[in-house]
Amino acid sequence: MTPDEIAEHLARLRDAGEQLKRRPIGEVLDVLGAVLDGWRDPNSNWRRDLEERLPAATGFTAPLIREGLRRALGAWTGDALRELAICELGPFDALDAASDRRVSGFDTTAVLLAGSIPMPSLLALIAPLAVRSPVLAKPASRDLLTPRLVARSIAETDAELGRCIRVASFPASREDCTRALLEADCICATGSDATIAAVQSQVKPPRRLVLDGHRLSIATVVPPESAERRIDLAERLAVDIALWDQLGCLSPIAVFAVDPEPSHAAELAEAIAVALANAEKDWPRGSIDANTAHMIAQQRAEAELRRAAGRAVAVHVSDSTAWTVIVEDGPELRPAPLHRFIRVLPVADPESLLDAIRPLGPHLAAVAIEGFGEETPGLASALAELGASRICAPGSLQSPALDWRHGGRGVLAPLARYTDVEVPA
Amino acid sequence: MSADPRRAKIDRRVLEWMREPRWNYSENRFEELALELFAFQFEHCEIYRRFCEGRSQTPNNVKTWRQIPAVPTSAFKEVELRCFPAEETAHCFRTSGTSTDVRGTLYLDTLEHYEASLLPTFRRFMFPEFQLPDDRATMRILAPSQIEQPDSSLSHMFGVVLDALGEPGSDFDVKNGELLFDRVLTVLVESAASEVPITLCGTAFAFVHLIDHMGQRGVLIGLPSASRIMETGGFKGRSREVPRTELYAELKRVLGIPAERIVNQYGMTELGSQFYDSVIRGPSEPRRKLGPPWARVVIVDPETGHEAATGQVGSIVVVDLANTGSVLSLRTGDLGRAVLDGFEVIGREPGADARGCSIGADMGLGRRSP
Repeated sequence: MTPDEIAEHLARLRDAGEQLKRRPIGEVLDVLGAVLDGWRDPNSNWRRDLEERLPAATGFTAPLIREGLRRALGAWTGDALRELAICELGPFDALDAASDRRVSGFDTTAVLLAGSIPMPSLLALIAPLAVRSPVLAKPASRDLLTPRLVARSIAETDAELGRCIRVASFPASREDCTRALLEADCICATGSDATIAAVQSQVKPPRRLVLDGHRLSIATVVPPESAERRIDLAERLAVDIALWDQLGCLSPIAVFAVDPEPSHAAELAEAIAVALANAEKDWPRGSIDANTAHMIAQQRAEAELRRAAGRAVAVHVSDSTAWTVIVEDGPELRPAPLHRFIRVLPVADPESLLDAIRPLGPHLAAVAIEGFGEETPGLASALAELGASRICAPGSLQSPALDWRHGGRGVLAPLARYTDVEVPA
Repeated sequence: MSADPRRAKIDRRVLEWMREPRWNYSENRFEELALELFAFQFEHCEIYRRFCEGRSQTPNNVKTWRQIPAVPTSAFKEVELRCFPAEETAHCFRTSGTSTDVRGTLYLDTLEHYEASLLPTFRRFMFPEFQLPDDRATMRILAPSQIEQPDSSLSHMFGVVLDALGEPGSDFDVKNGELLFDRVLTVLVESAASEVPITLCGTAFAFVHLIDHMGQRGVLIGLPSASRIMETGGFKGRSREVPRTELYAELKRVLGIPAERIVNQYGMTELGSQFYDSVIRGPSEPRRKLGPPWARVVIVDPETGHEAATGQVGSIVVVDLANTGSVLSLRTGDLGRAVLDGFEVIGREPGADARGCSIGADMGLGRRSP
């Protein structure tokens, strides 16, 4: 891919966008709704193709991908997309008619994808189309497959809309290609904070920028006293940890066990270890590189030494590096190697919890909470103030609703242009 | 020498090995001493004993030095690993770091092994042509002296090296935290004019500063062909990083010293011995790290904990008999690969395996990995 080819893509998308602008938004959403429904169907060609080819492309195991897609796409229906559009943009008839608040998409939207989890890519590519903006996608280096399959699914559903999405693959080191891509009118970029800063520095105003840097999630629970409830909670936490090998922004990096009695955290950790061992049988973790394995081994050994030094630390590990549960003796934040490596951090009360997680605030995506009873609303408010944009139950972290306001903003609205018409017809 | 007779006996044998004029890479001798030292440390360092017991590895079932449980070097930030009473601590070396970093500490009851190990190793790999015990070279050290930084093992090492191997006129060129550019350039110009070779030692980042300064001044110097450089350390916490190949190319351009005469030293505060690039000693051989007979490296597959296959990238574990007062088997924070009779350091790539959008391991989590 060359800068000229990218410029050619953008020119063709602008042409295709002229047709798209003339289509009623309800019609466009019907097409995209059908696309989503197709992706939800485990027997659709697109879904099967993705499930078959994604392991080789990303390193995730096939059972994990199947389970992750099943849980995540369950509620991503065509109807949910239409409701999202109405909620964020307004009634369709008003949008299409000459109303006093007009909504349109940008002439072109460039989407720079990151990571290798397919759902964020799927949503990132259909969202600009939903506001009738053509899309030029740059796949993440670790997943060249998903954007092409999404583009194919749209083209097979509606050829005209299919002409409004193109994929431009090039290495991140090709700054000339990146500059060409950033000539789009709206730019959506996901990636590391360094990537986001680099994009920001290269964009020539005026451009709409929708940026998402690093995010992480946590769980905070009051460990149940009953063994049965503890096992149930541990199994749900294990789902959140195991799915997508803890690599998504909705994967918890730590479980804060809020209880004045630290032994309850240790009991919960034991149950999580058992649940992760079971998850490994059902959805084995994917491959990891030597660097990651080294980091896991280092963190395990450090914890063992803390335990040897007499601190109340417990270490539960698989024979390989497949999963790790470490119970620390306090809420101090420590490195998170990910790939099913979880720390259980005891904390005495909700106030101490908020103090402990305050440093994470700017990066906080979601928090799974349970067991706080009537303190739940107050805690949810405090977590929201810290920066969390989603608060949910353990076990559902990896299944966000289609309308989850990732990063605390809308899904479609940030991609739209609004015009308020204040003069009478 | 330690007051503990058992330790004193081990110390004496280790020191004898270090002081032998000819290096002897005896596997049996290393095995015997390593297992004895492990048994001693198991008994006298309670934290280490519990660590080993937690892994069910004790002197009863550890049969070779390769099985001795290795503690991560990062652990020196959190726990005190010593085999002698705290009141017998004679010296502390601390790892480098910014004011906000937690620094690791190595407690020593004697510097005898540290100094006995470093000198013959430095001499062998930096000055293999030296024939006589009192052969010396002109050296400039681009690092602070041990007087300025008494808790820096690197400064201490350079001080010992200067005393033992430096010609008159050799000196430290960092004072009060500042690299004395004018003084260094004067010495370098004199060396070029007089054709007297010079040996420059320092941290990699000090050389970057020197290159930058020479670039700003538009100075290029052609040092005598027998000149050489020893650089060490990484770029952690620095304003920028320079790949080693780029650093070496720049050093050749501004000083005329080719890569074949630039040696990277692999050492760390927690280790009593160091490893050096083989390039001066064996210029026609593949560049690899080599060390003294009393320190061995094994590359461990981090997935299995077993020794990695030849050529496979794994964790660098060092077993060092110079660490008699702490723990002899250390798992470093680096990845490496076995090369012939030595190894190469691959380093680490934080976030290299980040497949998702979650924050990486070292990012924003209060404490950073070593």
